[in-house]
Amino acid sequence: MTEQVLELIPVRTRILTEKNNIIDVIEQYAKNDIGPYDIVSVAESVVAITQGRFVRPEELTPSWLARLLCRFVPQKGSLSSVYGMQTAINAEGSWRVAWSMFLGMLGKLVGKNGLFYQLAGEQAALIDDVTGTMPPFDKCIVYGPDDPNGVAQAIKERLGCYGAVVADVNDLKRAAVLGVTQGVDPKEVARILIDNPFGNASQKTPIVIIKNYALAARKAATE
Amino acid sequence: MEFLVGLLIVMLVVVVAIWLFLAKQGDAHFRFIVVQRTDFTLKELSENTATFICTIPFINNGTQDGTLMDVYPRHLLPCEQFDAVDVDSRLTLDSANRNDGYWEAYIVPKGTGGAIYLTVKFTAKSGDIMTALKDMVDMPIDIVFQVVARSPWYIDKNRLVMTAGEIDNALAAGQQAAARQGEEI
Repeated sequence: MTEQVLELIPVRTRILTEKNNIIDVIEQYAKNDIGPYDIVSVAESVVAITQGRFVRPEELTPSWLARLLCRFVPQKGSLSSVYGMQTAINAEGSWRVAWSMFLGMLGKLVGKNGLFYQLAGEQAALIDDVTGTMPPFDKCIVYGPDDPNGVAQAIKERLGCYGAVVADVNDLKRAAVLGVTQGVDPKEVARILIDNPFGNASQKTPIVIIKNYALAARKAATE
Repeated sequence: MEFLVGLLIVMLVVVVAIWLFLAKQGDAHFRFIVVQRTDFTLKELSENTATFICTIPFINNGTQDGTLMDVYPRHLLPCEQFDAVDVDSRLTLDSANRNDGYWEAYIVPKGTGGAIYLTVKFTAKSGDIMTALKDMVDMPIDIVFQVVARSPWYIDKNRLVMTAGEIDNALAAGQQAAARQGEEI
């Protein structure tokens, strides 16, 4: 894709909560900047928060299984705390998480890493433990968003843009597109967003407009 | 029968092995080292308020990383004991240096630590602050902290005492410094 015509525009908003509708927010803060050739990308954790998909550790009662399994997750992982693991169990089921952990351990014995996250379900990989999100949600565990494809489609229909994505991007050069509208290549968008234009939490820019994506895609196709 | 006994022994060995693993793994353990805090110094002085600040180190001396999910000061100055001032206390991580009293959840790797700034503001209920603080008493302050790590969350606290003598000294030193600055100007 021809990078020269692409432009990434982060959109600053106020702190969003479960009282906000993410589509309304995008319309309020970015409507005038969005054109028919653009892609609107929105951070997955913010979508999840606006969907009310977060919980305080104090609201959870850790099971013995969560207490046990969290001990086998490396310390940097979101599921290494007893509450992170409990949210994964709540989202994906105790049997699935336990079985995935068992197979994950066996996988490690034969040099296959990451099996647990492949098997334990999408939410197990998307959960952000406390400190994973900006205040006031730094004291909450945030799940992955619900129906990210539906959210992307709703953004496209309301804003009249070329496409929309719900993306999980961080400063460690990791980007994944969780929800996408038809006609948009999620891998290509993930590559475009790899430098984390959403910025860090304190920059409060959960929306990024990829200007002229459709034009660039058309140009790349003709070259 | 022999098979069942063998199975039981294997299960017992697994349980013991897991228990040993968990015991060896341990957990985070936090402590605010109040005995190593700095003396309070005068940060701001106005006609009816005086603000003091000190630095308190903390450490995670456990065997696992842990999160300080919340940390806040609790000053203890009942009106029955001293009724001339209102007190406001707040703290912040030194590297964050916030002034809103909000503690942003903070991961502390095992064997490491940091420091907080504790700020105490006295406001005279009537008259000027120097007169109000003249008969000030020693005031305990609990540093209360909520920890989340491998095991369920808990709240703990470490206590320091802001002494009346310390307040006097800080006020005197602050006034002397201000006077010197005035002379230089």
